[in-house]
Amino acid sequence: MNEKIIELEGIVVKKGRDILLDGINLSVLRNEFVGIIGPNGAGKTTLLNVIAGFERFTGTLKLFGQKEGWTRSRETRLRIGYVPQQLQIDKAFPILAFETVMTGVIGRLGFFRTPGREEKEKAMHLMEMMHVDHLSDRPLGQLSGGERQKVILARAIMQQPDILLMDEPTANLDIAVQKEFLNLINEIQRHEVLTLCFVTHDFTMLPDTMRRAVLLNCGKVVFDGDIDAALSKETLSKLFGYPMETFERDGRRFVSYG
Amino acid sequence: MVEHLVDVFLYLPIQRAVIACLLCGIGCSVLSVFVVLMKMPLIGVSMSHAAFAGAVLGMLLDINPFLSGFVVCLFAASVLGPISDRTDMAPENVLGIMFSLLMGVAFLGMGILTRTKAGALNLMWGSMLSLSSTDIAVLTVVTAILLCFVCLFFKEIRSILFNRQLAGASGVPARLIYYVLLFLTGAVVSSNLATVGGLLIFALLVQPGATALQLTYNLKNFFIISAASGVGACVSGLLVSYIFDLPSGASVVVMATIIFAVAYVFSPKRRFKANK
Repeated sequence: MNEKIIELEGIVVKKGRDILLDGINLSVLRNEFVGIIGPNGAGKTTLLNVIAGFERFTGTLKLFGQKEGWTRSRETRLRIGYVPQQLQIDKAFPILAFETVMTGVIGRLGFFRTPGREEKEKAMHLMEMMHVDHLSDRPLGQLSGGERQKVILARAIMQQPDILLMDEPTANLDIAVQKEFLNLINEIQRHEVLTLCFVTHDFTMLPDTMRRAVLLNCGKVVFDGDIDAALSKETLSKLFGYPMETFERDGRRFVSYG
Repeated sequence: MVEHLVDVFLYLPIQRAVIACLLCGIGCSVLSVFVVLMKMPLIGVSMSHAAFAGAVLGMLLDINPFLSGFVVCLFAASVLGPISDRTDMAPENVLGIMFSLLMGVAFLGMGILTRTKAGALNLMWGSMLSLSSTDIAVLTVVTAILLCFVCLFFKEIRSILFNRQLAGASGVPARLIYYVLLFLTGAVVSSNLATVGGLLIFALLVQPGATALQLTYNLKNFFIISAASGVGACVSGLLVSYIFDLPSGASVVVMATIIFAVAYVFSPKRRFKANK
């Protein structure tokens, strides 16, 4: 169970003169749920993109024990799911919600094989799990932001990945929808064997099953450990360079400016 | 009038023009689905100008204009592909530069070309009525390859159209398919220089797709509607050009725009939004 599934060693990403990631060391175990948290511009998304294979980097990256570069084999790509920040899509775009979920399985099927009943039933089942089954034959562009994000999450699970990367999936959603989305992630974590990496800048809205936090600032890991320790007054004040207060009420965590 | 038209269809050049119309309409409008849904009209316009510049160079160097046009298209595609893959610069600017450079090269070539200026003008405006049987054969093969590609890889194409990055991340060979698509764009555009010409083909690379976008949420129907409106524009354009003695390429483009305008006015999608 203690198998290291993601290992980063001295990962550096530069864009011109800017250093986006400055020597990141990090390893993630199978089935772990890691939150990558930090202020804007800390390099959270860049870090996720390095793991996803969207970003060129220097340093050593190992996935599933194998050294990987920027370009990936199909096999590796199949094992990594990705949920982007609010997906922009034209209102008139010709794709239905159900078809969107089905696109998750296309890579796994390969050329010249059409999805059969098994895949379709699985897609429908996932849509039920995400409470969007009633929207299956609606065009994706007409769904609300929250509904669309749930469809995209179902699409990612449809791929049956071993690692699921999420880049601020709840950004721009209203609070109730955010909460619902986080509950769905908890649900997934309980049902599927998945290693989850969740990028966010909002530490008041975190899924309960996330137990480990990696705090980033200016392209460096400034904290790595238990989530409760991460969200202490001292750590957060240091991270944001601004006095912060944390308190708990009814088992929920709140953060405020000191 | 009708009898007169029937008589006209017995002439070989007219028959060829009609066949070319169908093939051109289908080929360009299938491509237009990609151009519209992947939001890459500038790639479409750059490719059509690459083909045009290549064909003019071909005339200068006494090479088959289709071949030289295709080669320059492939070159353009191999530059454009990586540029549009990069995230650290705005591809629009690079495409703008590329597009004007190619246009410049084409006109430079036309300036140098002393003998057959008429031929070069045909590459620009197309000449439906002076097509050779080779032109038709090339058009047929290219259009057939494009259609096979779309039918065989429909599910991959759907996932790439939806989101290229997500498709690639989930194991679809997105880059391979994207490059094949760029090369096919080059082939279709250069083989259609003889029909609608290098300047006007761009209209057929956008308008049929834009028309379908007004009318359907189903991707299969999207391709069909797009092809139908492309063929409709080509055929009606040719008819209008014959009847009123107008340049054929220009009539085709005007008809394509009229079809788009009608689709836009009657779009159920717009009505849906207005009611909401």
